[in-house]
Amino acid sequence: MSEESSADRNVEIWKIKKLIKSLEMARGNGTSMISLIIPPKDQISRVSKMLADEFGTASNIKSRVNRLSVLGAITSVQHRLKLYTKGDSRVSEKTDVNQLFSWFSPIPPNGLVIYCGTIVTEEGKEKKVNIDFEPFKPINTSLYLCDNKFHTEALTALLADDNKFGFIVMDGNGALFGTLQGNTREVLHKFTVDLPKKHGRGGQSALRFARLRMEKRHNYVRKVAEVATQLFISADRPNVAGLILAGSADFKTELSQSDMFDPRLQAKIIKLVDVSYGGENGFNQAIELAAESLQNVKFIQEKKLIGRYFDEISQDTGKYCFGVDDTLRALELGAVETLICWENLDIQRYVLKSHATNQETILHLTPEQEKDKSHFTDKESGVELELVECQPLLEWLANNYKSFGATLEIITDKSQEGSQFVRGFGGIGGLLRYKVDFQSMQLDDEEIDNLYDIDDY
Amino acid sequence: MSNNGAPDSWENQVDVISEQGAKDSDDVSTKFSTLNVNAVEFVPSFCKSSSADDAESPTTPQKSESDSTNSTESPVLNGCGDGGAESGDGGAASASPRVEEPPPVPPATASPPAAATGALPVPTDVSPTADSWEAEADDALLTPEENNEPDDEEIEQQEDGELTKKIPKKKPPRVEDTCSKKEHVNVVFIGHVDAGKSTIGGQIMSLTGMVDKRTLEKYEREAREKSRESWYLSWALDTNQEERDKGKTVEVGRAYFETDKKHFTILDAPGHKSFVPNMIGGAAQADLAVLVISARKGEFETGFDRGGQTREHAMLAKTAGVKHLVALVNKMDDPTVNWDEKRYNECRDKIMPYLKKLGFNPAKDLSFLPVSGQTGQGLLERVTEEICPWYRGPSFIQLIDELPSLNRKMDGPFIMPVVDKYKDMGTVLMGKVEAGVTRKGQTLFLMPNRVQVTVDQLWSDDIEVTSIGPGENVKVKLKGIEEEDVSPGFVLCDTAEPITTGRVFDAQVVILEHKSIICAGYSAVMHIHCAAEEVTVKALICLVDKKTGEKSKTRPRFVKQDQVAIMRIECAGVICLEPFKKFAQMGRFTLRDENKTIAIGKVLKVVE
Repeated sequence: MSEESSADRNVEIWKIKKLIKSLEMARGNGTSMISLIIPPKDQISRVSKMLADEFGTASNIKSRVNRLSVLGAITSVQHRLKLYTKGDSRVSEKTDVNQLFSWFSPIPPNGLVIYCGTIVTEEGKEKKVNIDFEPFKPINTSLYLCDNKFHTEALTALLADDNKFGFIVMDGNGALFGTLQGNTREVLHKFTVDLPKKHGRGGQSALRFARLRMEKRHNYVRKVAEVATQLFISADRPNVAGLILAGSADFKTELSQSDMFDPRLQAKIIKLVDVSYGGENGFNQAIELAAESLQNVKFIQEKKLIGRYFDEISQDTGKYCFGVDDTLRALELGAVETLICWENLDIQRYVLKSHATNQETILHLTPEQEKDKSHFTDKESGVELELVECQPLLEWLANNYKSFGATLEIITDKSQEGSQFVRGFGGIGGLLRYKVDFQSMQLDDEEIDNLYDIDDY
Repeated sequence: MSNNGAPDSWENQVDVISEQGAKDSDDVSTKFSTLNVNAVEFVPSFCKSSSADDAESPTTPQKSESDSTNSTESPVLNGCGDGGAESGDGGAASASPRVEEPPPVPPATASPPAAATGALPVPTDVSPTADSWEAEADDALLTPEENNEPDDEEIEQQEDGELTKKIPKKKPPRVEDTCSKKEHVNVVFIGHVDAGKSTIGGQIMSLTGMVDKRTLEKYEREAREKSRESWYLSWALDTNQEERDKGKTVEVGRAYFETDKKHFTILDAPGHKSFVPNMIGGAAQADLAVLVISARKGEFETGFDRGGQTREHAMLAKTAGVKHLVALVNKMDDPTVNWDEKRYNECRDKIMPYLKKLGFNPAKDLSFLPVSGQTGQGLLERVTEEICPWYRGPSFIQLIDELPSLNRKMDGPFIMPVVDKYKDMGTVLMGKVEAGVTRKGQTLFLMPNRVQVTVDQLWSDDIEVTSIGPGENVKVKLKGIEEEDVSPGFVLCDTAEPITTGRVFDAQVVILEHKSIICAGYSAVMHIHCAAEEVTVKALICLVDKKTGEKSKTRPRFVKQDQVAIMRIECAGVICLEPFKKFAQMGRFTLRDENKTIAIGKVLKVVE
């Protein structure tokens, strides 16, 4: 897969992620919300028949309101399906090879997902929703459910990267069990231990203390081995693609060689790495050190990308930009090669129109700034501006990044680098093709300055 | 030029100190050091040829004599200078017997000046003592252990039967109130892996008689069974099975030995890269660092390379607050070195600029000497002339024994960071007292949780005492807390003036080594006193110009290697710390990440 298409795919993933989030939030009246997932190679006609049957069943619902809304939903789903039976343009566009195949089976090659129903918005108003899309990779679930919420589990599972790596970080103070999958880093379990250190005490009992010490250490290894089995083996099979043992001192080697450690997991060990600390920091370092073995994991790619961005900054090449204003300017110049954006970037893009001059202005506001109404009024006349469009900046970027000749990378703040990028650089920035001199490298958060009194020190 | 590196520096210091001493005459400790160093000065001129044996024979009777006089005097001394002498400040306690020391002087005449010095440390006593010492100086330098003033109140160890009998007779209640009177010095051994830190530590203990022959023989036998014969000395400090199996220290080893005027606690730090966090814990308790450098061909180079621990350890020791550094060029007996002066100079000249850069003043805070840990040459006794004609300076123990005493915070509130703890009929905490004194039965706070505890028992090293003072490496048994509720990094302190605790603080940070940039959101592990805590940079406040110290007006987005910045740091949990200005030892820290030391810094202000 070329770099270009993998970046596109990442944007696709991000879009679905966002969709899932909004679907999960939605709540409807009664059991009128339909989630329908059709796997590839299924027949539309079969599904149509099933819907017709359901329609019949639903007409027997006692409650009038509920009956009507369920029937309404089923009808809209049927209509949606009809679009696909006619051979949707979207299908043919995307899959030239499968076009012939799709002639026989009009389901898109990756399957089809339809969500339909009436949801209740925050203001208590009813809103009809009808979403249909083809997932970015084949979905192997068949689902039809009427409930008071949308069912997105199958989609979430789809997002999850296939390769999941387990980590055991173990040192003299405690152990941590974590997984790395896609760009999510998760701590499954951690506990601390109190192992006796060497005190030089003893005298006559020195041997006894040494023995007690060995016993405690042995028990610790046993406990780690047992917890590992609990966490990484489900249904009698390892649930991770690989296992990385990290730790200071010899615990990790001891564990890997110990016969208390489940042989099924033992077979999964990819690497032993040396970290100097336990806990979260050790976990981060273990990921870093195991990066070679985990090349294809998104998390590693993300770290590398931001690492490259930081390198540009530290070498002061000028081939970087950060902050909303600079980044957008660079985008317009066509200088941005890779646009890096935090997935939870909470900046809204406003398009405002002044009635007096008929001019459109574009504003990018943080939630803080949104509260300030002065942004929405004309400075000169004091007249309120008309709101033409309002959407999250990231969504706008996701829709338009191609027209700027850039690739969009959506990152998380889970990694060390990601967290620095989000907190230190505002979560938006880009790698440039050539050096751009930004006149106004101003800091946008001057008001924070007052919080710190430099003269204190 | 070659051999006078160390003595040279001491001479320089003599000048400095004696000048100082003339100015502020009330500083007892500086006086003390002036005397010592005067003695050393005599080395080359007088008794270069006089062997150790010669000197020893006259001094031994002398010693016992003076011992007895001293012991009879000591209660008197105690009586008049109660506060000072009892609290065991090295300066006050040792200055007084020094005056009495000349054996021909009858005790009766000796007591008045002694009393005078004990009560008020006056400059006037310097000149007479110095005179009398000059006459004696020759034997003084060769066998410092013998002739240095015998400790007066020290009753618990190495005293002859006569002495122990006498004291209870004179003043029985005094015996109960024990605390060690010698000056306490904590010595940490640092250096690259396999430089010979543990072996030197073990050798010192064997030479000073802290490990008995039989144990050593046992170690030697066991080591031979494993065909690791050369390791046996290090086994005195490496007590764990894994450490012995691999020949690598993992945790900081602890032992002590005594000279006649000082009490040394040895902290044997691990040299291996993975155990640097443990080493920092040891260095945090040290007053004096001993950087062990292997002179063996190739070993010195790897240790001093970028990835080697020689540099990192030296730097960490400096940041941990070590004031003086002794660099031991070890393995001089190795066939590839063979006490070669050139090799010694090469090692010294290579490492000197780096140590200077760290802020050690070569004239004052640095000394170099060649030793062999395996054979013990140059540790207790000087290296014999036929082996090493080019180095005639003091031996290692002589050198550290003669170092000027440290400025201890006697009067401040009691502060002791917890290094380690264990359960033994109660909760026992280990650590070094940073400031203040405490005694049995006293009520203290264990911060940051502010648990009220009572001191049940006290040990200074392994000797049970009733009160402890600053600089001592102690064990404290507490009532009122369970062992599980304590972790290393907690601080035992005074109830009236407990230490500051906080989670967010502002600090000035120097970035030493980091491949990319550091900005808000960066996280690392912070080592402050004995605590290790995960921290995140919350915000960068300003950059500080390295040369002028000026602060930038604008807030920086990021900092790079070799920059200095003031930043706001947030810890994962509440920790004990103090602004650097108020209490340096509790306010300096290092940031580490990915097995490297990223930055060092000092706490400017505790925010919340």
